[in-house]
Amino acid sequence: MNMAQLITTYNEAVYDTDRDKAIKVIRDAVNNRVSPEEIIFQVIIPAIEQTINHIREDEELSLAQHFMTAQIASDVIEEMLARFETAPKVMGRVVIGTSYGDLHALGKRIVTGCLRARLIEVTDLGVNVSPERFVDEAVAHNAEVIGISSMMIHTARGENGCLKVRQILKERGLDHIKLVVGGAPYRFNPELYKIVQADGWARDGITASRVIADLIAEVKK
Amino acid sequence: MITGLERLMAAIKGEACDRVPVFCNLLDQGAKELGISLEEYYSNGEYVAEAQLKMREKYGHDNVWSLFYVGKEAELLGCKRILFAKDGPPNVEDFVIKSCDDIHKLEIPDDLSAHPAFEEGLKCLRILREEVGGKYPICAYATASMSLPALLMGMDKWMELLFMGPPAECSELLAKCHDFFVKEMFAYRKAGVDVLVYSNPFGSTDIVPRKYFMEHSLPWIEKDIKAVGTQGIVYYCGMAKFNPVIDIVLERTGIGVYYLSPFDDIRKGKETIAGRGLTCGVINDIELIDWSKEEIRHEVKRMMDAGMPGGKFLFGTGVMPYCIPEQNIRTMLEAAYEFGSYEMKMERLHD
Ligand code: B12
Repeated sequence: MNMAQLITTYNEAVYDTDRDKAIKVIRDAVNNRVSPEEIIFQVIIPAIEQTINHIREDEELSLAQHFMTAQIASDVIEEMLARFETAPKVMGRVVIGTSYGDLHALGKRIVTGCLRARLIEVTDLGVNVSPERFVDEAVAHNAEVIGISSMMIHTARGENGCLKVRQILKERGLDHIKLVVGGAPYRFNPELYKIVQADGWARDGITASRVIADLIAEVKK
Repeated sequence: MITGLERLMAAIKGEACDRVPVFCNLLDQGAKELGISLEEYYSNGEYVAEAQLKMREKYGHDNVWSLFYVGKEAELLGCKRILFAKDGPPNVEDFVIKSCDDIHKLEIPDDLSAHPAFEEGLKCLRILREEVGGKYPICAYATASMSLPALLMGMDKWMELLFMGPPAECSELLAKCHDFFVKEMFAYRKAGVDVLVYSNPFGSTDIVPRKYFMEHSLPWIEKDIKAVGTQGIVYYCGMAKFNPVIDIVLERTGIGVYYLSPFDDIRKGKETIAGRGLTCGVINDIELIDWSKEEIRHEVKRMMDAGMPGGKFLFGTGVMPYCIPEQNIRTMLEAAYEFGSYEMKMERLHD
């Protein structure tokens, strides 16, 4: 199987939400002397990129497919990283959490998985995160990006959400840290991220990983 | 005077009436109406009934709700902590299921009507029935077997169990949730509810791929509906899209009312339903927060133009966010009464 076929077979299994098959495809490749580096840079990351283009041009994937993409990719990455001789370069750092008053963890979990699959270091702050904590943790981890997930309107646009994080960043002169938001309300109103003064947003976890990677690149420039 | 129930029945049967029935789902707004906190508001069924009646009078829409918040179902199954906000819906704060063992331990109460968490709801229902029974449809909400676990263990842990197993525990939980769903439905019917919203995000192709829907979601939907019958049932996926599966759901279950997502094409939905049921066009009430008067009127008109030809159409909202300005609610409803008028349409035709 060449790399292109490997990507196709792997992605088919992921879209079918067939975790066992996807993992088997990867393990078989490793047994056939494909290196862990090649698996990450020539299979997993291109597979995610291909999926992003697929979503953009074709039709959207279901939530279950995003969930499985994130789950499988981050599992594979973890398995591969354990086989690396020297740790690969970290692409960037992100702190992510669910906004204050919001206990919904799934969106954040999917985004986190997709980011890890791109070798972006993610610190998961959990759910119900206060605006102060988002900023403190971003500083402590030297993060380029803060990600805020919200499932409800009042936690997305309320006074303890993204708006407050923006205010604290301004007050503390930390404008170089980028703010990215996501979750159901943003899908219902694609202009909402501007209202809450975020730098960007994404409608799904896989696209989120590219939006965030682009912002990290911008900060590092 | 024509009542909301008459409008709804006319729309279901495809008979002539003054206008399209309009469902405006105001829940948390009740607290604002009574000038009390959300926590206090939801502690007493009399408050909820009073506010439902008051808001219906004030805005003139066609339905009232006995639903407090969705997390109530988790309370019936043992959830002890609900997180109240001052500007949004209450949420489940403590999950009943934290491990596989909790699935084995989960018990479905035999008589829900006797459960303390159901009491206030029944109180509310009783008042609604006395005041507007037979005039305005009284709505209740029940989460489908396949979606209920999300409330009991969180959506992420439920997805994990569903897609990665262990399958035995997954099936056990689904069977228990089905048992609960059936009991809940019968309890509501007994209490005199007219409209039963069957809420199932897992019945949407936004949430699961079509293949998975066919193999797993559909069998559970069939099982649920077979057990309770189609009387008063509304198919609803929590505002997620489901146009691609309407045909198969209709064929397999006979459900007669479809409450679309704002992102479902209304014309397409109607075409698929093809006179076999009622199509409910649903406005994007998250955009409604920021829309101008012109934008609101334009959108309502667009929806009515798509849904009204041939009748059998209802105009509805999602669960209206707390922060929608009252003026926008009024503008939307006035536009719905105006553009949803069959008499006006006739006049316009004659002009
Ligand atoms: C499934 C669902 C349910 C289920 C399960 C809920 C749960 N998770 O516990 C049930 C039926 C139980 C339910 C109940 C309720 N729900 Co509900 N539900 C949904 C539905 C259909 C999907 C939500 C979901 O879980 N999606 C899965 C997650 C992973 O998707 P996501 O958050 O969008 O995340 C993706 C992207 O947005 C993005 N993303 C997410 N986070 C981030 C972060 C960053 C930084 C980036 C870049 C991207 C990103 O990537 C993710 C993966 O692709 C939506 C409608 C819809 N179509 O979206 C309504 C919805 C979220 N629910 C809503 C509401 C109001 C509720 C209730 C509060 C109703 C009530 N009054 O009681 C309850 C709350 C129950 C509770 N927790 O106590 C509203 C919220 C809007 C509002 N009015 O505030 C919605 C939008 C429906 C609507 N339009 O009215 N719900």
